[in-house]
Amino acid sequence: MSESPVAVMGLSKRFGSVSAVNDLSFTVEPGQVCGLLGPNGAGKTTTLRVLVGLQRPSAGRVALFGQPVSFGAPQLLRVGALIETAAFVPHLSGMTNLRLWWEAGGRHLDEADTETALAIAGLGDAVDRKVRTYSAGMKQRLGFARLLLGRPELLILDEPTNGLDPGEIREIRQLLRRLADGGATVLVSSHHLSEVEQTCTHAVVMNHGELVTQGLVSEIVGANHGVYLEVDDSDRALQILGSIAGVHGATVEGDGIALQQESGSRSDLVAVLVAAGLRVETITAQQGLEEAFLDLIEGEERR
Amino acid sequence: MIALLRIELYKQIRRTRTLITFGVLIGLPLLIVAATKAREKRVGQGARRGGRLFVLAKQSGLLMPAVTLELMSFLFLLIVAAMFAGDSIAGEASTGNLRYVLIRPVSRARLVLAKLIVALALTWAATFAVSIAALGFGVAFFGWHSVVLPSSLFGGTAAAVSTGTLLSHLVTATMYVAFSVTAAVAVGLFFSTLTDSPAGAIGATVGVYIVSSIIDGIDPLGVLRYGLPTHYSDVWSTMFTDNTTSHDLVAGVVVQCAWLAVFGSLGVWWFRRKDIKS
Repeated sequence: MSESPVAVMGLSKRFGSVSAVNDLSFTVEPGQVCGLLGPNGAGKTTTLRVLVGLQRPSAGRVALFGQPVSFGAPQLLRVGALIETAAFVPHLSGMTNLRLWWEAGGRHLDEADTETALAIAGLGDAVDRKVRTYSAGMKQRLGFARLLLGRPELLILDEPTNGLDPGEIREIRQLLRRLADGGATVLVSSHHLSEVEQTCTHAVVMNHGELVTQGLVSEIVGANHGVYLEVDDSDRALQILGSIAGVHGATVEGDGIALQQESGSRSDLVAVLVAAGLRVETITAQQGLEEAFLDLIEGEERR
Repeated sequence: MIALLRIELYKQIRRTRTLITFGVLIGLPLLIVAATKAREKRVGQGARRGGRLFVLAKQSGLLMPAVTLELMSFLFLLIVAAMFAGDSIAGEASTGNLRYVLIRPVSRARLVLAKLIVALALTWAATFAVSIAALGFGVAFFGWHSVVLPSSLFGGTAAAVSTGTLLSHLVTATMYVAFSVTAAVAVGLFFSTLTDSPAGAIGATVGVYIVSSIIDGIDPLGVLRYGLPTHYSDVWSTMFTDNTTSHDLVAGVVVQCAWLAVFGSLGVWWFRRKDIKS
């Protein structure tokens, strides 16, 4: 079995006659920040719940760090998870919640990375208040503190920025980047596609419980072939671009050129233009992840 | 397992609801003892539940725990047991915290057992709290005396019962009453694994006992009633009214153990297979 932090192999999950996930397969490799995308009802949360041992697969297998996941599987110690909203024992303080949760795994709080966790939570003295007095954002931040207590190698996050304000969302985005830079692997589902685009290296797109596509975010974004570039000589660039196989529809658009690239990568275009003595100021996919996502989902619906 | 027990107990005893429950459990005996004192001159007229014991109660504060347990065991202690057990898993599911507990490498069977043991411990503690409070208030109001069981009242043999014997009966009776709601704890825990609604689990548990009481009252059902959790629920009272220990105490314990084994096992079995959707 693969040693990938996350391996989903032919996963299906049914609830009675309703199929939530159908024959889903994907892997997340070490150090990746992978977005799990899909419209409501796509099966994202069900997939994540199976991955953290809250639900059993109806068919197929899931594994974390090469070990099959079962209820209470030991490798869950290496995972930090936030599934839907953060939830706690409301009549206990934030600090007591962290302590009891940690000790339920049979370990003493001294072994936890409390300092980092509390710094992330940024709750100050409020950490000693009862959780029932917390706002949704405070609970979500305490949820992040909880999942970081064990210095997790893998983070599984389901809509982690729900309830957070823009400043807090940016903090979480920066945190995920820091964790990934430190070697952690992240699998995150989110409706905020711009956030995924800024945070994730890879993405898995689901619809109706099935895989639509997976790969590098840059590849998914560029999958409809629209490219926008700015060069120092647009007229000459148009002539050169017109002679490149797989490039068509090049037209001047604003200060630059828009075109469709059916084959090759954007770096191929840059190489050709630079070799011709042109200076390339900007080159980017003409659409964002949101447009690519909607194209993918609509294409899937038409099939 | 020890850590889970400690954590579950901590969660429960830090709840305001638990503290209020124990406050009421200690306060109600005061009300009952005071009411008995106020009606002291009219005893002998009462024929309702607890009437026999009420008749005798004026003789000694050592009888007040029995009177109080007789009055509180059927409904109040049952609700307390159903509350501790029915809320144990469903309550945590309703707040969403259950999924975070289970994301830890925690054995589901051990978690259910820890919650069962804590619910049983709190139910026992609740029963002893009632008994001890009633003893304290009873002695304060009626004194510490031996009791004479008058032959004319109930047809038994007139006999003096020493304070030592009464205390021994009291300990046995309190343990028996505590144990007589064990089935409620087991049933409540099982319902708690089925639903994310603690009120639903508590209500269903009380419902089982009410149905049991109704069926128990249908005499033509004969021996079929002997397995009901309520059938032997008040056999302990003869220790105080007749100074005799009924053999049915053993039968009552066996029935409670059977319900504990069946519904405790069902709870563990179901929870180990359950998909957590809360």
